[in-house]
Amino acid sequence: MTARRTVLAGRVLLLLGVLAAWQWGHWALGDLFIPSLLAVLQRLYEVTAGGEIFGHLAITGEAAGLGFVIGTVCGVLLSVMLRLSSRLALAIEPYVMTSMGIPLFALVPLLILWFGINMAPKVVIGAAMVFYIIFIAVFAGLRAVDGRLITMARVMGAAPLQIVRKVYWPGIQPYLFAGLKLALPRALGATIVGEFLVGDRGLGFYIENARQQADTVGVFTGIVIVTVVVLGTDMLLERLQARSLAWRPIDRDMVA
Amino acid sequence: MEEPLLRVQDVGKFFPPRERNAQPFWIIRGLTFTVAEGEFVTMIGPSGAGKSTLLNLIAQVDTPSEGEIAFRGRTISSPRSTVLRPGFDRQIGYVTQEDNLLPWRTTLDNVLFPLELRGGADAQGRARAGELMAAVGLAGFERHYPHELSGGMRKRCALIRTLLYDPPIILMDEPFGALDAQTRAQLQEDLLRLWSMRRKTIIFVTHDIAEAIVLGDRTLILSRPPTRIAGAHSIALPRPRDVHAAARQEGFAALHDAIREQVR
Repeated sequence: MTARRTVLAGRVLLLLGVLAAWQWGHWALGDLFIPSLLAVLQRLYEVTAGGEIFGHLAITGEAAGLGFVIGTVCGVLLSVMLRLSSRLALAIEPYVMTSMGIPLFALVPLLILWFGINMAPKVVIGAAMVFYIIFIAVFAGLRAVDGRLITMARVMGAAPLQIVRKVYWPGIQPYLFAGLKLALPRALGATIVGEFLVGDRGLGFYIENARQQADTVGVFTGIVIVTVVVLGTDMLLERLQARSLAWRPIDRDMVA
Repeated sequence: MEEPLLRVQDVGKFFPPRERNAQPFWIIRGLTFTVAEGEFVTMIGPSGAGKSTLLNLIAQVDTPSEGEIAFRGRTISSPRSTVLRPGFDRQIGYVTQEDNLLPWRTTLDNVLFPLELRGGADAQGRARAGELMAAVGLAGFERHYPHELSGGMRKRCALIRTLLYDPPIILMDEPFGALDAQTRAQLQEDLLRLWSMRRKTIIFVTHDIAEAIVLGDRTLILSRPPTRIAGAHSIALPRPRDVHAAARQEGFAALHDAIREQVR
């Protein structure tokens, strides 16, 4: 109990420290570089009370969520396929790794050309970002699953699909969640950068629009909203993880 | 002559050499024995004698380099086998050295795992699981995870998991190897009690001579590699046996000495 209280106190202190540094930066550098805390809070109140921000939020949320889900599903499917067939893995792995070197955002003009100025380019960018993270995390997870458990299941008559569902899938959960936690803010970030470039709505558009008008308060307000969204989704993920990994001794010891 | 349940005929297994031009390493060669239905056979041999390799061949986790293995008169494994069928369609159970419990499943769900693989556990299966858990002192631990159990309890869990789906023959690879003497004796008692309830055919590999005598109807002695059968002894001790008192029984010491002579 006291440990938990210490952590909470530490967090609050850190937050106050960050806010103090912010406000100090404002005083030192002036309005144009760093807006005052109060001005951002006021803007935050205006855009939420007026409902202006929720439209942007919904657009960005939809694109990022879609990209996140598509990227995750593709990453899991491909890694499982490669695990089941070592020949396929040998053939495909270098291509996957090479394609990782492609600078995603450099593709945006092309994506606009292919898909037009709508949701699709943002979703593709988000999905691609998530895909690599999940692919690598899950592939490592599949390799880490104890081969003896697989043999045991086979001796007991498990079919290949049952082994995937009942041994591999639970076995990769810690890796999958590590990947998801990394991928979620990346998906959001990629979508927002995508919106800088293509959107006429969304949080990225809101931030970019403010920037073009030299509205520093607007830029900061946008950033604060994004961090809050990341924080919220991460907490959700944390909940899911705690439930899915309840069997692990390490999680229990930490919670207690 | 009646066909034995399991026949291992001139079986050999080599591992390809590490370097080119080197000789292949034959871990097992020319190994022959049979096991009758309902027999409890113990196998004893020095470490590195290819005991686990032999059980892997019988369980069809691995293919032999020569010879053949027949189950109920039918060849199930030979160098010509192209498709491995581990466990031979649930006919051959295998309790390995490690308990290999699924860490994310509770004790009960681990025990029910083999039933779940065939369409789920019905009421009868669950009842039998409960009986078996009670029989080995795991009642009350159904909802615990493997990491919350002691080493001995995990072994019991692994043991009854295989007993639950009832394969006609069960291979056991030093299942009690890593346990302290007290826990080990308890598990031997448990195993003998379970075996007396349902006389399964068991091949039990160990490196402990006393264990081989206390448990088995017959014990086979393995040589150093290339491993063959170096000797065989029938164990005439009456059943039911008391694992704590067996060492004082008539004939035990002589048998123990005779086996120790051959295990080298």
